[in-house]
Amino acid sequence: MTIRLLTLVLPLLLGACAATMAPPAERLATAEAAARGAKELGAEKDPKAALHLKLAQEQIDQARTLMKEEQNVRADHVLQRAHADAELSLALAKEATVNDETAKAKEKLKAVKGGK
Amino acid sequence: MRGLPPPKELIDARAAYAAAQQGPAQKEKPAEVHVARQSLEQAETAFKDDPDAPRTKDLAYIAVRKAQLAEAIARASLTQKERDAALAEILSLESDAAKRAQAELASTKSALEKSKDQLEHEKEALAREKALREAAEKKAAALMADLNRIAAVKQEPRGTVITLAGGVLFRTGESTLLPAAMVQLNQVADAILKGNPDSNITVEGHTDTQGSLKDNEVLSQKRADAVREHLVAHGIAKDRIKAVGRGPSVPVASNDNSEGRANNRRVELIVEPPKK
Repeated sequence: MTIRLLTLVLPLLLGACAATMAPPAERLATAEAAARGAKELGAEKDPKAALHLKLAQEQIDQARTLMKEEQNVRADHVLQRAHADAELSLALAKEATVNDETAKAKEKLKAVKGGK
Repeated sequence: MRGLPPPKELIDARAAYAAAQQGPAQKEKPAEVHVARQSLEQAETAFKDDPDAPRTKDLAYIAVRKAQLAEAIARASLTQKERDAALAEILSLESDAAKRAQAELASTKSALEKSKDQLEHEKEALAREKALREAAEKKAAALMADLNRIAAVKQEPRGTVITLAGGVLFRTGESTLLPAAMVQLNQVADAILKGNPDSNITVEGHTDTQGSLKDNEVLSQKRADAVREHLVAHGIAKDRIKAVGRGPSVPVASNDNSEGRANNRRVELIVEPPKK
C-alpha cells in the first residue's frame, strides 16, 4: 500500500521539481560577489569595464524579478550571463589599472633617464 | 528544424573566440583561451541540439565574454611585464645613482680626513715652533736679567751693549784688571756663553779727555786687550772676539764734571746679534 502510493507520488514530486527548481541563491550570490569585486577594483572608472558592470547589474536585477515570479531556471541562466559580464568587467578594470601603472612607470623611467 | 541559421550571438561568439585564439592571448594565457573554447563548444552543442532554444543565445553570450576575458587577461599580463621591466630599470638606475653618490661621499670624507690630519700636523708644528720660540725668549730674558745684575745692558742696532764702568775694572791710568773686576767679567763671560755662544764680540775701551789723546788711545786699547784676554781665558773663542781702543772719541756724558768723566771711562762689550 505505502510502496504503491510512493510509486505514484514520487514521479509527480520529481516532475514538479524539474519544472520549478529551487531559487538559484548560490548563483545569485556568486554573480553579486563578482560584480562587487569589479566595482571595488574601479570598474566604474573605466568605460569598457563600466559597461559590463552595468550589464551584470541589470541582469542580476532581472534575475531577482524572475526569482520572484518563480521562473528559477530562467533566473539561473540570466545569472550565468551576469556572472560572465561581472568577471569580464573585473578583468577590464584590472587591465586599466595595470595600463595606468605602466604609463606612470614609463614616465618615471624617462624622468630618471633624463635626470642623469 | 535542421538548416536554421545560427543566431547572431553564436556568430559573435565564434568571431570573439577566433580573435582570442589568433591574438597574443593564445601564447600569453592559453588556459584562459581554453576556457573560452569550452564555453563556445557548449554554445555550439546547444545550437546543434536545438537551434531555436534561447539557451543557445545565453551560452553564446557567455562564450563571447569568456573570449574577451582571455584577451583582457592576456593584455594586462603583457602590460604588467612592461611595467615590471620599467620599474626594474628605474630601480637599477637609482641604485647606480645611489652607488655613485655613496662613492662621492666616501671620497669627500677621505679628503676631509686627510686635510684634517694635515691641519693637525700643522698645528703640532706650530705648537713646537711656539715652544721653541718661548724657550729662546725665556733664555734671552734670563740672560738679560743675569747681565743686568752685574752691568748696564742696552739693546742697540749694533748688538747687545754691555757697559762696564772703568773705575770698577782698573786703577786710574792702569790697564791691569782688578781682582773684583775679574769676578764680574767671569759672570759676563758666562752669561754671553750661555746666551749667544756663536756671536762675535767687540771689546771697546773708552777714556775721558783728561791727559793726552795719544796716552788715552793707548790706554783704552790696552784696557780693551786686557778684557779680551780675560774673556778668552774664560772660554770665549779667540777668533770671535776683538779689542778696539777708542780713546775719548766716543763720550757718553760730559767731560766737564767728574761724574760725566767717570761715565766716559768705560769698557763696552758689544755682542753682535747671532748670525742666522
